[in-house]
Amino acid sequence: MVLTLFLIITLTFFLVEAQPGDYASFYVLNPDLPPEVKDQIRAAFGLDRPVWQQYLIHLKNTVTGNLGVSFGNYPRPVIDVLAERVPRTLVLFLTATAVSFYIGFFLGKAIAWRRGGLFEYATTISGAVLFTAFTPAFALMMIWVFAFKLGWFPVGKFLDPLVWRGADVSANYVFGNMLLSAGAFIVFALLVMLLLKRFGRAVPSVVALPIVLGGAAVIVAAWAISGIGGLALDIVKHMVLPVATLTLISFAGTMLLTRNSMLETIREDYVMAARAKGLPDKQVRDRHAARNAMLPVVTSLVYSLIFAIDGSVIIESVFSWPGTGLTLLQAVRSEDLPLVMGAILFIGVLSLLAHVVVDVLYVYLDPRIRYQ
Amino acid sequence: MTDRRDPLLKVEGLSLSYQTRQGELQAIRDVSFELARGSALGLVGESGCGKTSVANCLMRLLPDSARLSAGRVLLDGQDILLLTEEEMRLLRWRRISMVFQAAMNVLDPVYRVGQQIVEAIETHGVESTEPAARERVARLFRLVGLDPKLTEHYPHEFSGGMRQRAVIAMALSCDPDLMIADEPTTALDVIVQDRILRELKDIQQQLAMSLIYISHDIAVVAEVTDVVGVMYAGRLVEMGDTADVFRAPAHPYTAALMSSFPSISGERRPLISLPGEPPNLSDPPQGCPFHPRCAYATDVCRVEYPPEVRAGSHRAACWHPLDATLVPQG
Ligand SMILES: Nc1ncnc2c1ncn2[C@@H]1O[C@H](COP(=O)(O)OP(=O)(O)O)[C@@H](O)[C@H]1O
Ligand code: SF4
Ligand SMILES: [Mg+2]
Repeated sequence: MVLTLFLIITLTFFLVEAQPGDYASFYVLNPDLPPEVKDQIRAAFGLDRPVWQQYLIHLKNTVTGNLGVSFGNYPRPVIDVLAERVPRTLVLFLTATAVSFYIGFFLGKAIAWRRGGLFEYATTISGAVLFTAFTPAFALMMIWVFAFKLGWFPVGKFLDPLVWRGADVSANYVFGNMLLSAGAFIVFALLVMLLLKRFGRAVPSVVALPIVLGGAAVIVAAWAISGIGGLALDIVKHMVLPVATLTLISFAGTMLLTRNSMLETIREDYVMAARAKGLPDKQVRDRHAARNAMLPVVTSLVYSLIFAIDGSVIIESVFSWPGTGLTLLQAVRSEDLPLVMGAILFIGVLSLLAHVVVDVLYVYLDPRIRYQ
Repeated sequence: MTDRRDPLLKVEGLSLSYQTRQGELQAIRDVSFELARGSALGLVGESGCGKTSVANCLMRLLPDSARLSAGRVLLDGQDILLLTEEEMRLLRWRRISMVFQAAMNVLDPVYRVGQQIVEAIETHGVESTEPAARERVARLFRLVGLDPKLTEHYPHEFSGGMRQRAVIAMALSCDPDLMIADEPTTALDVIVQDRILRELKDIQQQLAMSLIYISHDIAVVAEVTDVVGVMYAGRLVEMGDTADVFRAPAHPYTAALMSSFPSISGERRPLISLPGEPPNLSDPPQGCPFHPRCAYATDVCRVEYPPEVRAGSHRAACWHPLDATLVPQG
């Protein structure tokens, strides 16, 4: 883990180093920089020293969180720019991944369970089409249909300046609060489910939905009376289309994989045994067939997460969503090297985290791994 | 009203076929038998003769490709083939339970073993509270010779023998009237096999439960059953009290089976192996299906299916029964 991180840092350094006109000269020759900053940089990065020393300094700076100053956003430090952009990307992709996993898994198990219907045929075909669709083309098509033709959602970007004119709070402040609300809601919903599971037999599970919905209603109401609800709504509006596009692209993979995995577990003896025990059909499907079919799907989740993060460059540029992917693209175009390195580092770290999360999840889901 | 003397289970003229790529495969043809309350019936025959298919018919756990073309399965006089799926679901495990052939994967790998048994008990409302259900599982574990602490373990922590005991405990969990054991010990080593067999027999007598014991090993069947049915190519070719059938087998196939297995209960017989294999059921031979392998076959055997011969409850389907006291009826 630490080793992988080290490799990522090293690799980005030497990749940039290998560019014509090395790392040092990019810094120093950038005409946008005032001379005193150039001196500062020279001192900080030891640009007069040999490459290996520069590398060690870079390593130390990175580990201590000093990623340098962004040229394009001068004088903001890279870490500051990333702190603003990273949550935007995360929200986009975590939402899309969660929604697509849920829908994909739900549909996948349903079509595997009721084989041979028109429904299975239709979903499998459309799933395969979405799965193989060319991402930029599909994203543009979504914009064309839902933004231009139907006008339901804004074309792109993070917010609408007209709505925000005269607002006395910053977009980051509103967005930060939105994240907090979403986080609080998720924690609340998980707690409710956990408690219900603990006292499962005493309390019927139908009470779960009203409680969770009630929690959601409280949060929405709080936003409505806060005065900045309209601004938050504007951000949400801008989120819908990119999230929907990402979800459509990635749910198909989950659905097809769940279906295949399910078709295998259905033939397992424990599914036959569950039916023989006289369990209701739904319980056989969800508690036994689907529960086991979930294991390979979760493994694939790490790949689809990494795939999604890579795809963030494409999706964020098509939707002009100011997240990490778009930042990376712009930084490359404007030769803003510190920001490029910072963004790449972030993408690497995120992939690593996705790995760890899925590993932990897997251990939780499969007792055979837990005990080895 | 059901009379205690009426048979618990009565199977009449059961026929089943599977739709396959090679066409229709007749897995069961005209199988009839009765099973008294508290008694044990054995079904024996080589692999592919339709034993598991009979068991699956009794549980009504058949794949979509299966078609029941004829017959009745009467449980206490009620034809379970006519029940709705929901009625059948409530009957499964509560009245007929099953120990499956491939026992290694019968337990779901992601749940604790005890939990999987509790699940069945709760579904059928056999115990009203969860602690009572857990207590019941602990009792069952003791009954099948497992430490009750093992209920909290996962299937992969069990050895083959332990899993099979757990599966037997699961099959007993709802006090069924009938338990079907389909080759329950085939995957285990001989010593464990023997021990589990004896315990199964003990439990069956202790609980006065009916048992259908399926095996390809005729010696094992002899040990645990009161009545035995021999299956060949989807047909019940011989049936009778176990003692009668073993003393004087009437069908040449039964005799061949008996001589091709060493008896585990002592005396050694010369091992005559049975040449060839059971026929392909999508294209069975004409006449008696056993004729290509039968030492006694004559011309009539190759053309016409043999009539039933009987002596009391002992019956067989053969033109030239080895036991001459069995004669055609009517
Ligand atoms: N699901 C199925 N689809 C098609 N053929 C089957 C199926 N299950 C069993 N068969 C066939 O039915 C015949 C009887 O099988 P089975 O009942 O498993 O016999 P046994 O338990 O005696 O080995 C075999 O020829 C087998 O190939
Ligand atoms: S009917 Fe003929 S072929 Fe069939 S078992 Fe009897 S003797 Fe053999
Ligand atoms: Mg079988």
